Amino acid sequence: MTPPLRSAAPRLVVWLTGVSFAVIGGVLALVFVLLSWQTRAGIVTAAAAELERSQQWFAEIESRRAREWRLQAMTLAENPTLKAAVDTYLTETAAGAPPEELLPTIDQELAKLAEVLDAQALAVVDVDGRVLSAGGPTSPDWRRGQLVPELQHTDATIGAAVVAASRLYLATYVPLTIGADRVGAIVSAVPLDVAYAEGLASGARADVAVVHDGRIVASSSGVPPGLDGARLARQEPFEADGELLVVRRLMAVNATHTYAISSVTQAAAVATAGLTRVFLGVGLVALVLAGLASAWMARLLSRPIARLTTSLAHMTDTRDLRQPLPRDGVILELDALADRFNALRAAVLQAEDESDAAYAGVIGALAAALDARDPYTAGHSQRVASLAVLIAETLGMPGDACETLRLGALLHDVGKIGINDAVLRKTTRLTSEEFDHIKMHPVLGARILQPLEFLRPHIPVVELHHERPDGRGYPHGLVGDAIPLAARIAHVADAFDAMTSARAYRPALPASHALEELRRHAGSDFDARVVEAMIEVWDARLAPVGGVVSIDPLPFRNPSDYISSVRSRAAARDSRLVAS
Amino acid sequence: MRQAPYPIARRLLAALVALAPIGAAAAQDAAPGRITGTVSLASASSRRLATPGAYPGRRVSPVSEREASELRNVVVFVRLSGAQAAPAARVVVRQTDEEFVPHVVAITRGSTVEFPNDDIVFHNVFSLSRAATFDLGRYRKGATRSVTFTRPGIVKVYCHLHSHMSALVRVFDHPHFTVAGGDGRFTLDGLPPGSYEIVAWHERVGEAHTAITVASGSASQVAFSLPLKDP
Repeated sequence: MTPPLRSAAPRLVVWLTGVSFAVIGGVLALVFVLLSWQTRAGIVTAAAAELERSQQWFAEIESRRAREWRLQAMTLAENPTLKAAVDTYLTETAAGAPPEELLPTIDQELAKLAEVLDAQALAVVDVDGRVLSAGGPTSPDWRRGQLVPELQHTDATIGAAVVAASRLYLATYVPLTIGADRVGAIVSAVPLDVAYAEGLASGARADVAVVHDGRIVASSSGVPPGLDGARLARQEPFEADGELLVVRRLMAVNATHTYAISSVTQAAAVATAGLTRVFLGVGLVALVLAGLASAWMARLLSRPIARLTTSLAHMTDTRDLRQPLPRDGVILELDALADRFNALRAAVLQAEDESDAAYAGVIGALAAALDARDPYTAGHSQRVASLAVLIAETLGMPGDACETLRLGALLHDVGKIGINDAVLRKTTRLTSEEFDHIKMHPVLGARILQPLEFLRPHIPVVELHHERPDGRGYPHGLVGDAIPLAARIAHVADAFDAMTSARAYRPALPASHALEELRRHAGSDFDARVVEAMIEVWDARLAPVGGVVSIDPLPFRNPSDYISSVRSRAAARDSRLVAS
Repeated sequence: MRQAPYPIARRLLAALVALAPIGAAAAQDAAPGRITGTVSLASASSRRLATPGAYPGRRVSPVSEREASELRNVVVFVRLSGAQAAPAARVVVRQTDEEFVPHVVAITRGSTVEFPNDDIVFHNVFSLSRAATFDLGRYRKGATRSVTFTRPGIVKVYCHLHSHMSALVRVFDHPHFTVAGGDGRFTLDGLPPGSYEIVAWHERVGEAHTAITVASGSASQVAFSLPLKDP
């Protein structure tokens, strides 16, 4: 198996997903920030305009309210009982006899009217601004006899800021007249305190500050600390504590002004909150889509690559280059890669085949050279190979096995390279030591072929071509079917060619004699079926041509022929594969 | 003399003393003396409105006439410590064009004032004054109600329906009083010889007083300017 990957590098999926996600996310974030910023700026402008409009509107309402307030006070000033009581009191007091019994009447009248009008203070003053009587919750500030300087000798019927008992009041002053004469005034007043500011603030839906002589004397809870009257008097938007505030004057009386202060930032925050939620939602969905798209893209890319990798790993594991890499048909570049790899694979295969063939050629040449060492054995290996193939074909052996047999038979005596020439060429009878030496050649041959992977299928033919069915063969003394058929065929073919070839110590036996000899030893020395097949081969194939064994299929005469035969065999096997 | 109780508008302050010698009466011992003189208003009252207030004025008479008629609202009298018998009278104060006419009357104790209604609207005459507290109720054009004043003092009279209307009734327990004429002249007759404090009084401006000696059968002259300047 291919060893597991040791690389710490992130997977392609991670790369692709990460990069595209980061890019899309970054773009989204940038768009979000820009849009949000621009929208916020727009909303701030709109909110400022809206606030100014509503403040202006409220200021108008306030001035109308003040006017109505004054009209109410004017109506009060026409109250005949009140006027008669006040005038009578003042006239008689001036004449030296204050009619104290009238005061409760006046007090009660004022208290009643104050309650009806919901006035904080309803007072009657004489023309000198001296308090005669007062009603309402804050009447203790309006003590009888107290002088309110601002109300002295004034013709004003408009609002006035007055100080009664050192509290600042907003007063509506209406003269009490009898005929063409002013006898005093009725004053409806409200203290300019925090409650007043809070009341206005809830109406204006803004914060309210009351400024007197340039100093803030009362303000609702939301007014930022550290403000001064001058800043408010400019009525321009300004920043405080990071908030943009707009200011509008609601009322101006003498040195007393009230201002509405609204936070544009807060108004905008309310408006942008929904927008932010929408942006975040859209952004989230976009990010999820981006993630999915990235993952899909990454899969699209990485899956064919993984498939290629798997194919390569399989090739490596099985050492089989015959299976070409599949084309995915999805990505052009990957298909091109597979094609190039397949071309490379074909070239490697070809080179491998060529080197195999070259090697086999070398071995074959070696075998031929061995044969050539002894004139009596010249051509022996080639003839044995041809003969063995003929026998195998007669026995119905499959083509692949025939080929294995052919090369094995060709190389069957390659082990004789390790046998002394003196022993090999000896024309006299061999000693038992010499014979034991000769008997080593199958094992030697197997040992020579052993390192060559592609020659391994042939080793049994080489190693076992001197085994006998009766177990008296060498080198292992295998019995019967334990000996591969190919080795048994090679044994028969080897023996036949040896007998029909001349030796230094004897002439060649005629084929009939050799066949007789084979038949005689069938079952003991030779496999009976193979001997039968040999006889059939002789009768059907060799006798008609004068007993000459054709060595036509032998590749060793011309190695390139063999190579082309190998190639064609490979091509036949790969016929279903796409050739590059 | 003492300062008027009300401050006065500085802008119009100008003392005017117009003393016009009048033909002297024949001197008679123990015969009652006479005081003649003039009253002038040096300034309009500081209370006088530049604008008529909440409601437009419904006054018919022009402003100049009103200014001149203000002299008719000055009561001149002799301050006496004790009461003297004086005949009761019957005086009429009409309600015309939503005004009491005359605006000021001076009467002896026990006198009766009638308040006939000449207007097409209802009127309701009432007073909260200590000297006479009354409410005559509402009555229509042509009707009249009357009040008999039994205590000396200042009685302010109003209309419950028309808060701009007012009248003043000054009730004396002696006969030595008068109301100045439209030209500011006045005459006090029938005073026994002696020293007197004579007072000119206007409801808004206050009073001015001066000492005068009345000789038997002679006429003394005095001039008042209201309000008085500081000495």
